[in-house]
Amino acid sequence: MSHIAPLPLDAITDPELRALIAEGEALGVPNDLFGRIVARAPEQAVPLLRALLMSHAQGNVDHKLKEIMRILLARFAGDKYFASLRSNKARAMGLTETRIDDGCFAYEDNGNGFSEAEKCALRYADLMFLDANQVDKAFYDEMKKHWSEAQIMELGAFIAFHYGMAMFMRSLGAKAAL
Amino acid sequence: MSVDPDAVDAAFFDELRKHYSDEEIVELGAFIGFNLGYHTFFGTLKFYPLFSPDGRLVSQAESEKLYGAAPASLQKPEAAE
Repeated sequence: MSHIAPLPLDAITDPELRALIAEGEALGVPNDLFGRIVARAPEQAVPLLRALLMSHAQGNVDHKLKEIMRILLARFAGDKYFASLRSNKARAMGLTETRIDDGCFAYEDNGNGFSEAEKCALRYADLMFLDANQVDKAFYDEMKKHWSEAQIMELGAFIAFHYGMAMFMRSLGAKAAL
Repeated sequence: MSVDPDAVDAAFFDELRKHYSDEEIVELGAFIGFNLGYHTFFGTLKFYPLFSPDGRLVSQAESEKLYGAAPASLQKPEAAE
């Protein structure tokens, strides 16, 4: 049980927030729990949820790769809520649990078939909160061999935001199933 | 939340509720999470403020000298002289 009780869905009357919660439910990430908790702060809920959905499901980086990065970050944050959720879109695109585990724990292993660009992006997520000092000029020079500056900003902002929200949900003791 | 997330437990929330509403706690928690992530990310980008402490528009090279390893804005007044 979360330290902050989620609002019942029928207590949320803002149509924009309800539409975003439904969008998250359809994607699978976040499910309605996140929206129902942040709905406690109605002015925060809409921009937070919109940004979370947009950063994950839109942009110019492969959604499957971002889904692996998101789960890697949630696991690193010790957040059971976001770590247990899965993107239905990524699953429909062919992302499997084996691929997710390989991406979280063994992406450097050449036998797992991650491209150099994917390895670099996964390393970005891995190092950001493990040892940000390693995300230095040399690291960004390597990233630029594989990704445009726009994609690097998309990835960096995605990492920062999703790790932050994972830490937030961890602090609430939230779990996916109530 | 950042240094010892396990310390943010039920007892901690009971204490928070003595001072803040649920709405304010959610606002604070999301704000902290957001900043926790973005400040680490921004730190890796090594960009510096556009303005010096006295309000001049400065280059990134000059700003790095002003704010780099020991940002002037974080120094005690006597140390910043």
